[in-house]
Order: sequence, then structure tokens, then C-alpha cells
Amino acid sequence: MRLFNRIWSRTFSYIILLAFTAFFVVPVIWLLFAPFKTDHNLVFENPFALGTLGNLFHAAHVMFTFEDYALLNWLKNSAIYSFGGIAIALICSIPAGYGLAHTQFIGRRTLLGVTLFVMIMPATALVLPLFLEANAVHAVGTPLAVILPFSFFPFGVYLAYIFYSSSVPKDLLAAARIDGCNEWDVFRRIALPLARPIIALVTFFAFVANWNNFFLPFVMLPNSSNYPLPIGLQDLLSATPAFNPGQGGQVPIYRPELAIATIVAMAPVMIVFLFAQRSLVSGLLAGATKE
Amino acid sequence: MAPVSLEKLTKVYPNGFEAVHEFDLEVADGEFMILVGPSGCGKTTAMRMVAGLEEITSGTLRINGEIMNDVSPRDRDIAMVFQNYALYPHMTVGENIGFALKMKHTPKSEIEKKVRETTEILGLTEWIDLKPGQLSGGQRQRVAMGRAIVREPKVFLMDEPLSNLDAKLRVQMRAEVARIQRRLGVATIYVTHDQVEAMTMGDRVAVMRAGLVLQCDKPQTIYDHPLNLFVAGFMGSPSMNLFEARLGEGATTLFLGTQKVELPPTVLSAKPALGRFANAEVVVGIRPESLAVAGTATGERTEDLVFFEGDVDLVEALGSEILVHFSTDAHRVEAEGMYSDDAEGLDAGSITQRGEGVARVSPETQLVIGEHVRLQVNPKRLFFFDPVTGLALNG
Repeated sequence: MRLFNRIWSRTFSYIILLAFTAFFVVPVIWLLFAPFKTDHNLVFENPFALGTLGNLFHAAHVMFTFEDYALLNWLKNSAIYSFGGIAIALICSIPAGYGLAHTQFIGRRTLLGVTLFVMIMPATALVLPLFLEANAVHAVGTPLAVILPFSFFPFGVYLAYIFYSSSVPKDLLAAARIDGCNEWDVFRRIALPLARPIIALVTFFAFVANWNNFFLPFVMLPNSSNYPLPIGLQDLLSATPAFNPGQGGQVPIYRPELAIATIVAMAPVMIVFLFAQRSLVSGLLAGATKE
Repeated sequence: MAPVSLEKLTKVYPNGFEAVHEFDLEVADGEFMILVGPSGCGKTTAMRMVAGLEEITSGTLRINGEIMNDVSPRDRDIAMVFQNYALYPHMTVGENIGFALKMKHTPKSEIEKKVRETTEILGLTEWIDLKPGQLSGGQRQRVAMGRAIVREPKVFLMDEPLSNLDAKLRVQMRAEVARIQRRLGVATIYVTHDQVEAMTMGDRVAVMRAGLVLQCDKPQTIYDHPLNLFVAGFMGSPSMNLFEARLGEGATTLFLGTQKVELPPTVLSAKPALGRFANAEVVVGIRPESLAVAGTATGERTEDLVFFEGDVDLVEALGSEILVHFSTDAHRVEAEGMYSDDAEGLDAGSITQRGEGVARVSPETQLVIGEHVRLQVNPKRLFFFDPVTGLALNG
């Protein structure tokens, strides 16, 4: 009876896992196969049919050369905004987390509370006040109007605070002070090198948030040459008769081309995740056990 | 001039808790000073004030005659070994040891030379390129020592450096730490809660409780002449047997529970303060090694001994000796109180239980559990304490 129960519970677990896997993976598989087929094939034939390399090359050529390499320009803009925001976020959040964890100053608890509060606020709610601020300093339409809000990352501050308060013992910093370090040396030579896992973690989360962000760039960037990928793709969709019948004209963008653009938008996040996996796990587990 | 001088050093935290109260201490050049006491007694706080890691509320700290109250830790010319070693995990053994020299902008060649010498002294040469995470506890402890030694400081501070080691390694490292300190001849303040370390390593020992120094003297002096109930009960393993008792008329008899023990006149002449406690309660202390089973040949005359009786509860054979746990009908005293110069509110704070004690006897002794046993002790080795103040009745 016990054996039967074990087999049944294991089978049931596998069925559930397969169902969830299918739910998440099947669309991705469809997407990866899509550029290898024509638009007609995609609609009327087996969704998992392999297609041809010729179709892939054609779709890629059309998509990449569309409107004077607009896709590459959007890719470039996304990279600038994302990495610009990440750089400033790291420069601010890692020292801020360290300060909150290991220094005593008036208002420390209040600042920590405010950080937590802002962290749980929906980012969309902040877009309008940010727009008004950017407009006041004539930054709307410039990369800074996107990079600076991207660099505001209270979650990174909180992650750094948790890491430093749980994984970096106070005695380690005290030893550094006795060994001749001033406060800057304590941070630069001891606290910062130890923060590699958390730097990777903050980088990843900030990158994903920045890369996929739609609403803020949508509000801040009226000029299409400054669009990042999400805005560019959305603009592409609305301007293409194949997806928006109300639009007139002949634009050679169809589903296979759009699939290529979507893969280009997804690929950087997947590549970063694959390379950062080990650091992500150690960053997430940092401080979980006492050493 | 003492390398380290603490004058009425006090630490009061913002919530009003007084961790250290008017701590006076002088540590001479080359002296190995031990601060010992139970957890929370303020010994680590006192050391951290010397290191500059805790702000001094009041009092004066001098190192080599210079006032150090407001001097940052890096400018005090001290080196510290932490309880959990506090090694830099991202640096190798060599980099850990040489780090302080690097911060002093010592030339690289000199750093390498000093690191090499230090690793040779400590037997770490083989592991110089490894990181702390790849080392055993004992190796890490030696790296922590090396980091302190290489700086050639004026003062060593060691905060329970052996407490994370297993028992066997602790015994080994105890000797090594003492040997290194003697070789280097640097004034050392060593914090521990282990009274065995206190007895075996230090030139002098300061016994602390609740922020106060209860007694500061050579280890053997503290052991032979404890000034109060707490020091008597704290130093020694197994700890001193402490019983409630009553002195009879003229302090010539001692009532231990229902047992009457005749005290020779030499006891009163050696401790005249007992005269004030005739017909009054006292606390009597007996070291386990002072007890023997009646009739055992100890080289002493029978007429010089006094006797009392008990029942054997447990016999622990340790090979070289036997620990006999016995019970009597006298009440046992557990020293928990706080000693203060202030006479008001003095209370030894003792909690009494059924009179259980421990005797350390020779390995040939044959005893069984439940056996009624007669124990002997030389009355010269009895200790007497005031049950209210906890002070020893020595004079």
C-alpha cells in the first residue's frame, strides 16, 4: 500500500510539473521556431514544424534593416539606459546598504523604513512626478530622463543592507580598523570585495527591471530615435498593418520578423541570467547560515 | 610606566545599562593579564574600550603613558585576536598577516620578509597561499595570532581566542599562546570565561562580575585566598563546595546541617574574624581536593583532621583521580550575588539546595553509589564567608 502511495504521489507530482513546464515553455519554443517559417506557415501549419533557414535569414534581414536599422538602435538605447542605470544604482545602493547595516547615525531606522516603504510602492505611480521633475530641468527627451530614474533602486539598497547586516560580522570590520584602516578603507578593502555575490544579484535584478521597463521611457522619450526596445516594439506593432489593420501602407513586418525582434529583446536577459546563475544563488543564500 | 593603565574606566550604554564600573587595572610591560568571569560580566567590553572599539563613558585609558580615550583604534599601536578570528575571507593567509603592514605603507619586500618569519614561527608556511575558508580551526587561530604578532604592537588584546576550538586543540593552543607571549614579551590582556585558562596562562588574573573587578592577583593567590564567595566558587574545577553552616559558641564548633564538627583553636587564631560570627550563620567552603575518605593515608595526623558524613550519589572515574559526588544534610550555597564596596543592599544572593558536594580522591578509592561515607578534611583548608556580604573571613 505504501509503495502504491509513493508511486501515485510521484506520478501526480510529475503530471503537475509537466503541466507547468508546458504552460511556460511551449510559447517560448513556438517563438524560437517562428523565424524559421513564413507568416502563412505560422498560422496554418503545425506550430512546432521546423521551417527553413532561408526563412530565418529573410526574416532577420528584413527586421534588422527595417527603417535604417531601427531594431539595432533600440537595442543600443536599451543597453545604454539599462547599464547606465545599473552603474549608478550600484554606486549608490551598495554603500547605502553598508551604511545602514554598519554605521550608527541619527535617523538610521527612519531611513531604513522609508527605503522599505518606497520599495513596495508601484513604480508606475512614480512616473508622473518623475516626468514633472524631468520637465522642470528640461531633461525630458534626453537619456538622463530615463537613466536617472532607472538608477533609483531601493530594492538594491535593501538587498545590500540585508547582506551586510547578516553576512559581514562587525568583528571583521573592527579588525580592519585595528589593522590601520580608516572608514573608507574598511569599506573599499574589506566590505566591498566581500559584496561580489550581492553586486551580481543587484545587477541582475536592476537589469531585468530596467530592460523590461515600458512606461517610464514611454512617458519620457517622445523621439523615436531614443526609444528602447520595449517602446520600439510597441511602436512597430501599432504602425504595422499586419498587426494593426487600421494602418495603411505596405510594411514588410510580419509574425516571423516580430518573433525575431522579441527574441532579440529577450536574449540579453537570458544570457545575463545564465552567466550570473552561480552568483545569484550565492547572493540569495548569503547570510543564510552562520559561518 | 605601565604599558596599559585603566583608571576608573566606566561604560554606560545609552539605555542606562552599566557594563563596566570604575575599572582600575595596570598591566606591566611583558605581563600576561587575564580578565576572567562569566558571560556578561563586562570583560569583553573592558577590552574593547582598550582597543577603541567601544567609547569610554568615563575614566582614563593610557597606553605607554599617553591618554588614549579619544584616539582611533588604528593609532593606538595595539593588535587584537578575536573570538571568531575575524580573518579577511577574500585574502590569503599571507595577505591576512601582512595586511596591517600594508596599511602602514611598509615596503613590499619588508612585508614579505616579516610575513615569512611570522608564518615560520607559527608553522603556517605550507598554507600561506590558502584562504581562511580552506583552513582548520586551529590553523585559522594561528593566522589570527600571526596577524597580531607581525605588527609588533605595544599591547596584545585577545578576546577568548581558544573558545571555538575543540577541547584537545584548546589544551595544545593554550600552551602555544603562552609560549609565544613569553617569547615576544608584549603586555597582553586576555579575556576568557574559562577559569582553567585563567589559572594556567596568566601572570595575574582579574576576576570580574557584573562590571566590577572582584579580585586581581596571581592565579595561585586567588585560588588559595579568594576574597569573596563568587571568586571562591568561580575559580577551581570542580568548583569549591560551599555549604550553609553555623558556628557555635566561641567559634570552636561548626554545625553542618545536623552534624557537629569540632574546630581546633588554630582555626580561630588563623582567622580571628570568625570570632564575630560565634553563634551565627556562615558559609563554609571546601575545595574538592581537600577532601578524602576517612582513613585514607594523606600524610596528615588524624588528630589534625575533622570529619563529616555524606551519601555517595555518583562516582566519576577519570583515570588519574575519582570525583565523588556526595550529599549531606547541610544546604549547598550557589554564589550568585554581587560584591560592592557599598554596604547597603549587600546580599550574597545565594540559592540553597540539598547539600551536594564533590570530593576529588585517589583512583584507588573504592566507593559505590548509595554508600554512606565519612569524609575528612584538614580544618586549615576550610574557607569561611560572611553569608550577607559574601566576603571571606580571612583576617
